[in-house]
Amino acid sequence: MRRLPTGLVFALPALIVLLMLIAYPVAYTGVLSVTDPSGAYTGLKNYQDVLSSRLTPRAFVNTLWWVGGSIVFQVSLGTAAAILLNQEFPGRGVVRAVSVIPWVVPGIVAATTWAWMFHTEFGIINYMLAGPGLISEPVGWLTNPDTVMPAMIAINVWKLFPFVSIMVLAGLQSIPKDLYEAARVDGATFWDETRYITLPQVRPVLMAVTLLLVIWALNHVTTIYAITKGGPANLTLITPIQIFRLGFESFQFNQAAALSVMFFLVAMVIVALYIRFLASGGETAR
Amino acid sequence: MTKNQRLASRLAIGASLLALCASAVAAGEITWWTPNFNEARARELVAQFQEANPEITVNLEITTTNGLPERILTTLQSGAAPDLIDVQHPWVNGYAQNNLVVPLDDVLEDREDYNSAALDYVTWNDQLWGIPYRVEALAILMNRGHFEGAGLDPDSPPQTWDELLAAAQTLTEAGHSGFAITGGGEVGNTVFRSLPFIWMNGGDIISEDGKTAVVNSPEAVEAVKFWTDMYVAHGVSPTSTLENDGTANRRLFIADQVSMYQSGQFDIASIQEENPDIQIGVMMTPHPEGKDTAAILGGWSWVVPAAAENPEDAKTLIRFLAQSDNMGFFTDTFPARTSAMDLPRFDDPMLQVFAQMLPYGRPLPSHPRWVQISQAYFDGIQRILIGEQDAQASMDLAAEEIQALLDQ
Repeated sequence: MRRLPTGLVFALPALIVLLMLIAYPVAYTGVLSVTDPSGAYTGLKNYQDVLSSRLTPRAFVNTLWWVGGSIVFQVSLGTAAAILLNQEFPGRGVVRAVSVIPWVVPGIVAATTWAWMFHTEFGIINYMLAGPGLISEPVGWLTNPDTVMPAMIAINVWKLFPFVSIMVLAGLQSIPKDLYEAARVDGATFWDETRYITLPQVRPVLMAVTLLLVIWALNHVTTIYAITKGGPANLTLITPIQIFRLGFESFQFNQAAALSVMFFLVAMVIVALYIRFLASGGETAR
Repeated sequence: MTKNQRLASRLAIGASLLALCASAVAAGEITWWTPNFNEARARELVAQFQEANPEITVNLEITTTNGLPERILTTLQSGAAPDLIDVQHPWVNGYAQNNLVVPLDDVLEDREDYNSAALDYVTWNDQLWGIPYRVEALAILMNRGHFEGAGLDPDSPPQTWDELLAAAQTLTEAGHSGFAITGGGEVGNTVFRSLPFIWMNGGDIISEDGKTAVVNSPEAVEAVKFWTDMYVAHGVSPTSTLENDGTANRRLFIADQVSMYQSGQFDIASIQEENPDIQIGVMMTPHPEGKDTAAILGGWSWVVPAAAENPEDAKTLIRFLAQSDNMGFFTDTFPARTSAMDLPRFDDPMLQVFAQMLPYGRPLPSHPRWVQISQAYFDGIQRILIGEQDAQASMDLAAEEIQALLDQ
């Protein structure tokens, strides 16, 4: 008699839990998206209803801005900070510790605090700008159509660039010192070292971190929802918030499921393109 | 013991157990969910009720308003509901349409004594699905000191829209924000403050039969324009208007920056506490020349869930609570019964103005998609406030979105 492989037996409980917690909700979302609240099959009606809403394309464009803006600044700032923190200077340990604080602050706390700081009337940002006369009247950071999305992106960058810098710093410390010594013998400057040794060596780390950041930005709700709820006039409405509102504020779970399925597919395409064209290019750096 | 004897004794035990269970239910235990702001008064009334009805035990469970609609909906659908729940008037209609609560026509006494808009709220299909106990409506709070400083008479506050705007402009010239509107926070803040202006002018958001979006009618657009122009054209509302909800406006009022804003009587106590120097005045919401003022009626009702284990005792408790004196004692703002308004606690000149608004209160429109409809309307208001569109274009777009929701 054949026995189940021992390994499978040990893994089975975990597999069952995973199946219930991941596979079932995913499949159920698919079912919800093609039924009505009473459970009757409705074909693609939910998809049509969602796509005909004026909000859907707007939210999608906002999402692209949000993800793009967040990633570019998180990666560049995070890498720059990591390279600085990798230098020898007195008090380095303290600076390293302090720099991760934004990342460890709970999202909702950070968002609420920033909302207060950005407030037109009471906010410390307008107060500090008005003091030395940099602005003559208060700026509506969170209400001006030109500043509200950049403000949201700035908060997201502030929140997550420390994560990038920690990961990159770990990568930097695994680079053999002899590479730098050899480069210095050849007369390389700091910029040459960064360009030809540091960045190629941390490339795999950067690729993995960027992928994580893309995923986190795509499913982000906390910061924007806590501060503007997607407003004013939907200027900061991104697709995850649209899904949240449809489901949990309007109780249109079927439409929310349809939008989730579509968004899932789009996100898969974005991630696949990223892996295909960017992440796989760095074979030599391994 | 023979086999038969054993069986018989088992049956007897079973029967007596059943009898025990039955008596446990009949002993009259009811569970009542009431929000935390009612707790102290509810405990006192329950004590009185139990003295008069020793056979009924009332278990009080205290709820919080945050997340309450979801919690109540879950319990109503789960089949294991409490026997009596305090809910806000607009929620009752949805419960009734889905048969989640029971009709209460046999509980209501002195129908004429009740605020008629409140009864309209909880009526569906010619039956009464809740007993309203608390009603309230917004009016306008003003800083009497600012009025005097600007040369206006706080004892004859503006009564028409033109007078309101003129006063707001005079107050703004005197260095404050004359009249603060809302443009941020939860959707309800702005709906409660702007929709009455549409009503006063003869407009509405959706037609009475719930089939047509009418928010871009000339009357509605004129009202929306008048209200949003406080910020857009006249600048009498603070720079932070798009971030402000009712609470933010109260803070600005306390900070002496705002002279008039729309609010309810619940703000008075915290203003007096935080800035005792402010002399508060209350005025009715001004109306267009020759027309009546209006307000959205807010407040709370009692409902008995369809899944309640002990609906009859719950009804007995409602009859007790709904007695004029008890209702007047229980409510946080105003009672739904006119006779209870004579109680000494409502004899206050400021409260009297809010009470005068009550007859002009109307129910919120009732529609299964109301959350999304009001969001589309609020988006339209925000488009005007950020200067993306003028009132007509923005309300045209809102009407288009609302119509799509009504047609779904």
